[in-house]
Amino acid sequence: MEFHSILNSLTYLAPEITVSAALILVVLFDLILGKNKKALPVIALAGMVAASFFVFQQMTFNGFAFSKVSQPWINVGMITVDSFGAFFKSIVILATVLVIFFSFSSEEIKKSFDRLGEYYTLVLGMVLGMFLMISASDLLLVYLSLELVSLSSYVLAGFTKLRERSSEAALKYIIYGAVSSGLMLFGISILFGMTGSTNLYVINSLLQAPNINHLALAFAGILIFAGIGYKISAAPFHFWTPDVYEGAPITITAFLSVASKAAGFALLIRFVKITFISGVAPSGHWQMIPAFPWKEFLIVISILTMTLGNFSALWQTNLKRLLAYSSIAHAGYILMGIAVLSNQGLIAVLIYFGIYAFMNLGAFFIVMLIANKIGSEELEDYKGLGYTMPFLGVTFGMFLVSLIGLPPSAGFIGKLYLFIALVDAKMIVVAVIALLNTVVSLYYYIKVLREMFLAKPASPSTAFKLSPLSLILIIVMLAPVVIFGVYFNPIVEFAKGCVTILGL
Amino acid sequence: MTEAVLLNISIAILLLPALGFITLILFGKRIPGPQWVGTSLIFLALCISIYVGFGKLAFYAGQNLIMEGRWIQILNVPVLGQVNFDLGIKLDNLTVIMLFVVNLISFLVHLFSMEYMRGDIRFSRYYAYLGIFTFSMLGIVLTHNILMMYIFWELVGISSYLLIGFWFEKKSASDASKKAFLVNRVGDTGMFIGIMILFTNYHTFTFDTIFAQIAAGNLPFHSSAWLTACGIMIFLGAVGKSAQFPLHVWLPDAMEGPTPVSALIHAATMVAAGVYLVARIFVMLTADAMLTIAVIGMITSFIAATIALTQNDIKKVLAYSTVSQLGYMIMALGVGAYSYAFFHLVTHAFFKACLFLGSGSVIHAMHHEQDLRKMGGLRKKMPITYYAFLISTLAISGVPFTSGFLSKDGILAGTLAFGSLTGHWLIPIVAFLVAMMTAFYMFRLVILAFHGEPRDLHKYEHAHESPFVMAMPLVLLSVLSVFFWYGLNPFNPSTGWFLDKWIKTPTTIVPQNMRFDFMKTEAPVAGSLENAKAGEVKTTNAPIAVGAPKVTKQNESETAIVHSEHYMHAMHQAHYPAMALSLLLGGIGILFSFLLYQWKKIDPDKLAESLKPLYKLSLNKWYFDEIYAATFIGGTLAFSKFLAWFDNKVVDGIVNGAATLTRMVSKLGGLFDHVVVDGFVNFTAYLSGFIGIFFRKFQTGKVQTYVVFVVFSVIILLFIFRPFF
Repeated sequence: MEFHSILNSLTYLAPEITVSAALILVVLFDLILGKNKKALPVIALAGMVAASFFVFQQMTFNGFAFSKVSQPWINVGMITVDSFGAFFKSIVILATVLVIFFSFSSEEIKKSFDRLGEYYTLVLGMVLGMFLMISASDLLLVYLSLELVSLSSYVLAGFTKLRERSSEAALKYIIYGAVSSGLMLFGISILFGMTGSTNLYVINSLLQAPNINHLALAFAGILIFAGIGYKISAAPFHFWTPDVYEGAPITITAFLSVASKAAGFALLIRFVKITFISGVAPSGHWQMIPAFPWKEFLIVISILTMTLGNFSALWQTNLKRLLAYSSIAHAGYILMGIAVLSNQGLIAVLIYFGIYAFMNLGAFFIVMLIANKIGSEELEDYKGLGYTMPFLGVTFGMFLVSLIGLPPSAGFIGKLYLFIALVDAKMIVVAVIALLNTVVSLYYYIKVLREMFLAKPASPSTAFKLSPLSLILIIVMLAPVVIFGVYFNPIVEFAKGCVTILGL
Repeated sequence: MTEAVLLNISIAILLLPALGFITLILFGKRIPGPQWVGTSLIFLALCISIYVGFGKLAFYAGQNLIMEGRWIQILNVPVLGQVNFDLGIKLDNLTVIMLFVVNLISFLVHLFSMEYMRGDIRFSRYYAYLGIFTFSMLGIVLTHNILMMYIFWELVGISSYLLIGFWFEKKSASDASKKAFLVNRVGDTGMFIGIMILFTNYHTFTFDTIFAQIAAGNLPFHSSAWLTACGIMIFLGAVGKSAQFPLHVWLPDAMEGPTPVSALIHAATMVAAGVYLVARIFVMLTADAMLTIAVIGMITSFIAATIALTQNDIKKVLAYSTVSQLGYMIMALGVGAYSYAFFHLVTHAFFKACLFLGSGSVIHAMHHEQDLRKMGGLRKKMPITYYAFLISTLAISGVPFTSGFLSKDGILAGTLAFGSLTGHWLIPIVAFLVAMMTAFYMFRLVILAFHGEPRDLHKYEHAHESPFVMAMPLVLLSVLSVFFWYGLNPFNPSTGWFLDKWIKTPTTIVPQNMRFDFMKTEAPVAGSLENAKAGEVKTTNAPIAVGAPKVTKQNESETAIVHSEHYMHAMHQAHYPAMALSLLLGGIGILFSFLLYQWKKIDPDKLAESLKPLYKLSLNKWYFDEIYAATFIGGTLAFSKFLAWFDNKVVDGIVNGAATLTRMVSKLGGLFDHVVVDGFVNFTAYLSGFIGIFFRKFQTGKVQTYVVFVVFSVIILLFIFRPFF
């Protein structure tokens, strides 16, 4: 690789470099500042803002970083920069910024203020990993970035180490993650053995050959999916999710449920689309290499995921656990959009993710605020909260309504576009199953509302004052949920502009 | 001022009252003077609407300005293909005049209410409701598509509900609000069906596109009967909102709301929305639909006028007079006197708002006494109110030199022309009778309230002229009831600018064979050619960029040709006879009321005694409420309504029979419900729960089992998706 090629690549890596710089600064300032850690989140935020600037630049340009010009293949590289990646990167940035703000008001994080340096370093490390995951078009980078995200999140999940549940969650997470990444590595090595390349584009052109071993390919595909499925918590690779979500600090739970899922989905879509596609029909449907039935596979996984998520959520009494299962169910809905294997399905997925980020973070944030106040996340402690904390109760209700997907909330629009994509691809049965799942989900979301508004408060109310920052945050997250419910053209247009994956 | 500026600031007009609503509903209790927030915002909206009206009428009088943007675009909907929902506003002369009328009256009512509603415990909420009402009403006026119109239509219904039941502690008020809401629902259902007929056929809600399709000969379901049905269905919405027979029963009860609200909503603006709706769809009405509309309007105006003759509650009299005048407008639309119908809408809005605010002033002065029999002699105590009220009364009675004379005379001439052209003579006859009755009951009202000797001295002692903010709106509105605002000739409005320049009857687009003969465009009339051209222009249906609003202009002169020569001729001929007749009959009406109540030459009680059945019929409002109460219990509306007139026993029999049958059916249904449905539901719930428990079994909490599950899942998945064997 020539020097100027590397130099050229650096312009494509501007967001990643910014995040790394911010990470290093946080470490340095942590050492310099001593006890006063107030500056650290500011540095992290500044880093994210700068990164977002570069990400928005990436909305318009495409290219490969670290490409090998000498190859006889098309000019491809390890890192792909395109608008699709920029979309998911902006979701990650959004989630990170919000989570940093969450951390300001989180009692859990405040308690371990002397380790704030580690906290923000790890968060930024995760962001770096997620950025790379989103852009990776080389199996080696896929694996490395996935590990970077995982390792940071193991530590963050156990950040409040004095709590038993937190440590337990972290340990489970590590063991589970190790197995998953082992499986994935196995799959990657099979794929490498079959094709002799780690670059997805190169693999794609080699897989077009008729004489590939389908069994080995299927095995590799499923193993790699096991690794990605663990990140997006798709059934049956979701087992860690409820335990870790419950044990981790709420800020990290919220972060895992949005940012790390976004990165996982971006990786999945890029992997499936680049590696196994043979062409895109004019109607926007992807023609896949017949080697592996991705469509059927994804349909089975998505139905399994949403059904499991929704039905298990029925019995949950802990809000964090309930939201964990709900996020599993949402992963199922999103997978369904990918299973359509068409550009329209992809648009629907992007729309859904854009909306999901706001409503899920909002719901977690309110759970956190309530936990700050009453020190519990148990459903039975939510009795009468709608009257003792009316603002939180009502806004929480709005987020839940959006999570159910009732009009006129944004969640409805997300589901609407998913269902349209499904029906358009004549996957009516899947759409019906998803609809029935939504009906089931109604029960457990409404159960929360019932506790809040129809049950008598257990204890006499005490005055609850919302800090201005929290109020602003809630409004910032609620506004899109409400506005996109009635005027959703902007987000649809935005998503339409971001479906381009480089080279296809 | 370019068209884009006009359109953009029209949106500002729409949003200002909404802003007021949001501010007041959220922070109303913390704002020291909530009335000032609402009033100043409406005042701003009024100023802008005057500016828009001036700009439109002065520079773009011959054009329609349209701005539209795509709200939703759904590709590939099964069966329909691509479906677009466009939002947009259309500024034509009708719209800008309505904008002015709505904003002006709303502003005056805001002002009036400052004093009238002072001290109410929900003062800020009252202004919030006024805000949302104004917002929705302006939405109806501005929209260029029937979907938005329906949305705003329902919003208007909601705000009307909230305001009628504003004093919901009173049972009568909360009952009235429920009644209004439910009765309106009946009409709105019809309207919705009509909209769906259009959407199913044309896949769009935009008026112009729909009309262009019909003009191009593309009828709903390829059948003219469906076009008629569609027109009548949409008209049902107007029947509900404009309180037409048989859904007029809610409006008099709506007088339970605060009086300024009655002036704004239940006299001047909202109830006129029905007329506005019919005017909007006027071009697609077939002859059958128009005749239906004319007859409904005629029946309404007659029934309401007869009831108004004997009512003793000052607001009830005005309410029935409103119903009657709305019937007039609807009837005018039905007979094709489009421009006069709209003209009457505008003039009526001013003088009726004035009458209602005047009655509010009286009620306020009399400490919430509404019974006419306890008033009298108020002229001396409240001179401003009296003279404003008198001018408006003259206007509604159709006395020359008032605006009401011009518009009413036009309607009467229209019915007369219609009668002579089609032979439906009943319509003009009833119209003239109603004109006479109107003059009578309005003067009865004035005489009983303001003339003569006070009947309740105690209340009379405390009566006083209203303060400035209440008197000013009255004066302004009564001034607007004088002729010269609409044209210089006090006897022929058609030469005035209002009808000559601003409001023209649009060309009907209904196929020739489904029009009234007099509306057919004979060859020599320039319109037919132009008509085809206009249709062509519109059907091109240029693609609209998603999100970005598009501004278009239409040449109004192209689309506006009037009826055939025939009709114009008949109208011209009818003009002077109609005027003479209406003057004569109006004079008789006024004379009678003076004879009865001022000079007491005839004893009203004796007259009532001698005409007892008729008197009772009128006093009891033709027993409509009783009939509806009876029929709704019976369950069948049209059938038993008829029977109730003749034989209560038959009805009772049906009622009892139905009740027994219902009980039997419901018992059976209950059994079915209990055993089968409940069983099924419980089973489903149980099954869901069971599945949940089943899934939970896997969540052991032990990481080693998780790992085993993962490995096994991979193997099972590989087995399921194995490629060959």
